[in-house]
Amino acid sequence: MKDSAAVSVLIVDDDLMIRECLVAFLEDEGYQVKACSRAEDALKVIAENPPAVCLTDMRLPGMNGEELIRTVRAVAPGVRFLIHTGGCYELPDDLVEAGMNAEDVLLKPIHDLSRLARLVSARAGMLRE
Amino acid sequence: MQRRLQESVDEITRLRGTLGEVIDSLPSLILVVDRDGVVEQWNRRVEQFSGIAADDALGRQAAMLLPQFAGHLSCCTEVIEQRTSLAATKILVQSGQERRFYDLRIMPLEAAGNRAVVQIDDITEQVRIEELMMQTEKMMMVGSLAAGMAHEINNPLGAILQHAQNIERRFSPDLPANRDAANSVGISLELLGAYLEKRGITRFIEHIREAGTRASQIITSMLQFSVKGEVQPREVDLSQVVDQAIDLASNDYGLKKNHVFRSVSIVRDYDRSLPLVPLVVSEIQRVVLNMVMNAVQALSAEGAGHQPLITVRTRREGEQALLAIEDNGPGMDEITRHRIFEPFFTTKPVGVGTGLGLSISYAIITKHHQGTIEVLSNPGQGSCFLIRLPLIGAA
Repeated sequence: MKDSAAVSVLIVDDDLMIRECLVAFLEDEGYQVKACSRAEDALKVIAENPPAVCLTDMRLPGMNGEELIRTVRAVAPGVRFLIHTGGCYELPDDLVEAGMNAEDVLLKPIHDLSRLARLVSARAGMLRE
Repeated sequence: MQRRLQESVDEITRLRGTLGEVIDSLPSLILVVDRDGVVEQWNRRVEQFSGIAADDALGRQAAMLLPQFAGHLSCCTEVIEQRTSLAATKILVQSGQERRFYDLRIMPLEAAGNRAVVQIDDITEQVRIEELMMQTEKMMMVGSLAAGMAHEINNPLGAILQHAQNIERRFSPDLPANRDAANSVGISLELLGAYLEKRGITRFIEHIREAGTRASQIITSMLQFSVKGEVQPREVDLSQVVDQAIDLASNDYGLKKNHVFRSVSIVRDYDRSLPLVPLVVSEIQRVVLNMVMNAVQALSAEGAGHQPLITVRTRREGEQALLAIEDNGPGMDEITRHRIFEPFFTTKPVGVGTGLGLSISYAIITKHHQGTIEVLSNPGQGSCFLIRLPLIGAA
């Protein structure tokens, strides 16, 4: 098992309160966490230092979550994505073909944050799930 | 002269016969009354409806023969005298647990000044279709509203619920970062924990989480209206599905604690020859679970000494499977029965019911399974939910 401190997570959400609570939780769990409010800013962060896992909202101002995933897959295919969404969301075919599945979609609100920790660890290749 | 007279008599007889046949073959209940409300004509439909033959009806008071419409029929004199028609719509006639609706019109007969014709039409099916459409429209409205709202509401709910979890975690002495921070400001987490407990603050945080969870469940339930049944139905044994749902109810923690549920007798009366029914098992189980929970809650209102009973029946009705879930609880009044499938309509205390259970059941049965659902109930006579599912070509 890798140490969670070695695992970097990027949160992309335009809601400040959501960003803050996820950052607080994941930092408490020992992850290295960064957060952006826009997909365009996330692209810059990823280009400089790609995280192991990116947890992104779907509805974002400007570029949306799906577009972010597609763009990042082309330039940094090693980044694993989790989707964090407030409404009903069905993965489009191309993302399913790319290996994403329903387990990668977390509906807001997350009732048990430890589930998020397990998913992040699993996606980062740790053996916590 | 004699021959012409005979021809006229024959013609009149033929015309009367034709007229009588026309009146008899009309789908409406038709009667003609004089200014005192005494019957002069009584067509075949009224005979069938009232069980009174025309020969027995002629010369008697219409209001006595058709007591269901007595109030309106008593206006015949007024109609004749004032030469103005009277119309009433959706008159409810209740016979046992069956409810039927009628339109009634009383029109003065222009040529024969002292008489009026009464026309009564059964509009039950029309009213049912109207109610069904209204219900469907309401559900669609709630569905589209929910889909639009879900994103906006789930974000703040996420912040509330997740921050509540963070707060709990950051009070915990188990996290090294908490201990470091407490040390740096010179307080003990154990003492802080004792204070939070003593002042009920830990319970307040729990309540924030519970309330947030409840709100999020309401949003999730509302989304059901906008979601088309995605799972394909498969042909299964309806009785077995109902059995499984009752077992699920028995294992439900909330119901296990309910003293009424522990004492309720559940009678299972299944038609073993019922063919397999195409349905989405999880959805039908949800409907049955909902009905059973509602029945238990209704039965909880009964006093001591009452033996609570839920009867579940399956039957074949032509090309439909019938599932009846009946309780011997306090029943419901007309207003409640009328609104029972309406989203957010509830008779339960705040926090106990969201008013969505039955409307979701309605959506599952009518939208996802192309079936029908109705309730028969009267105060003091229990309630019976009737669910009909097509045996072929569903969903």
